[in-house]
Amino acid sequence: MKIDDERDLHERLEAAFAAISPRPAPVDDAMSRGRVIKGLRRTAVAAGVVAVAAAAVFSVPALLHRTAAPAPTSPAEQYMVTVQTPGRGSPPGVIAVGTINGQRWWIIADRAGADFTHPGQQDIIIEGPAAGGPGGSDQYVPPLSTAGSAGPVSFTAITSGSNQIQVGAVQADVSYVTVRLGNGTVLVLHPVTVYGTRAVAFAAPARAEITEVAAYSRHGEIAFAVPFNWPGGSAWVVSWLRPGQATAPRVSGVVGSGQVNGKAWSATGYLGPWGTCIALDGAAAQGGLCVPAVPAVSAVGTCDPGSTPQIAGGVVPASVTRVALTEPDGTTVQVRPVTVGGRKLFAVALRPGGKPLRWVAYDGAGKVVASSGR
Amino acid sequence: MNARLDGEFREFMQARWPAMVRLAYGLTGDQGHAEDVAQAAFGRAYASWPRVRRSGDPDAYVRQIVVNENRNRFRKRRVTERLTGSPPETALIDVAWTDATREYDERSALIAALQRLGPRQRAVIVLRFWMDLSEPETAAALNCSVGTVKSQTSRALATLRQMTELVDGELA
Repeated sequence: MKIDDERDLHERLEAAFAAISPRPAPVDDAMSRGRVIKGLRRTAVAAGVVAVAAAAVFSVPALLHRTAAPAPTSPAEQYMVTVQTPGRGSPPGVIAVGTINGQRWWIIADRAGADFTHPGQQDIIIEGPAAGGPGGSDQYVPPLSTAGSAGPVSFTAITSGSNQIQVGAVQADVSYVTVRLGNGTVLVLHPVTVYGTRAVAFAAPARAEITEVAAYSRHGEIAFAVPFNWPGGSAWVVSWLRPGQATAPRVSGVVGSGQVNGKAWSATGYLGPWGTCIALDGAAAQGGLCVPAVPAVSAVGTCDPGSTPQIAGGVVPASVTRVALTEPDGTTVQVRPVTVGGRKLFAVALRPGGKPLRWVAYDGAGKVVASSGR
Repeated sequence: MNARLDGEFREFMQARWPAMVRLAYGLTGDQGHAEDVAQAAFGRAYASWPRVRRSGDPDAYVRQIVVNENRNRFRKRRVTERLTGSPPETALIDVAWTDATREYDERSALIAALQRLGPRQRAVIVLRFWMDLSEPETAAALNCSVGTVKSQTSRALATLRQMTELVDGELA
């Protein structure tokens, strides 16, 4: 027998393995084994919840009281959210456990890059009855990291059914993080280390407004943020402010509208303590983008930044009078930015394509003020 | 899990059980162990079935678990199960020379030769040349770099050629 080439080896392996006659598939045994694995996971998480809840009753009654008895709210904000740090017996990767309206959830991070089907990404999983279905749901996000973060916590917002999941990597000096919800509930998040990264997480109804997030060290407040709450649900933490820093007034205005393939779209700019966000609405497009409060120039698409989006929007310097965007076929679309709250914003429909968005911003004299640089 | 998901899993396992056992057999060289590994892999897949099916490639997912399960099995048993210089079963069978026995001998010789490779080289050969995975896919399955896959492939092929030529020479 000689192995002269790869094809020959394949055929020989094929013949060798084809001779194996496995016993009938033990489906019931495998399913039974799977149920045991699932049961172990749940038991471990539940044990963690009980341990932490018991400890919390004796150590921080004031915080529990605030969480358990939210301030009176409008009917739209009647929900109950709790969060606890997972106990010592929790499986690896569990960041937080809690409840939404009495139904349990737990948030788990898989190891970054562990899933070969999503290289370079990290799987964030929410499970439990509050997760809305068997097996919960998950989403792949860039690995949790504080690298490049302008604040003490780098939050990622994930929408999962009727819930929002907020998961964030936490800088080393942060002892705990507080989250104030629209109904007055204050959640206290204690960082846990998952796969070498300190992280916090919580789940809340997507419609729950998050009014403030604050990070504390052992010595006091480090920074706070007023998240942008997207119309329809989910909040983004965009900018962090120093303790005591005055917050910018909230202003909004339409920055673009039109039709794409016969379907209407519109874009509204929202300025406030979070920075600037442009939210799309309408049958043709959903989504949006945010840039921090610190003066920034951006023309990021509302879809995949690596390709030309359907609707592009952005913030440009005050001196800009027009923005030229290059479509996938090379043609250029020009748009005049709109002033909202003293900032220049724009939104325009494009033909989506595979090429990254290219743009140039000009002032009244035709001078290039900013560009995508590509 | 609901009945629809259970039904999907049942169908999937029925269809892919033989292939996964054969993959595990290529990695372990023992049919009993192979079936244990494959069953454990399907059990894990069932525990996360909603997520596995959402991955869009449940076959690749289970294949990955098989590789991991085998690696774990090998780690657990490495104290008692050591690779030896000689294959666990001989390819040299002194019987009347027929086509059937020749085929049998060639199959056993190849399996025996595979067993003389290190676990990673064996996995590379099975994944690359039996499952026809690309180098990046193999690297992902083995949680190593493409460069490692290339070097392990090269060494494994060289070893196999040496061993199989020897077998061939003695049989001829």
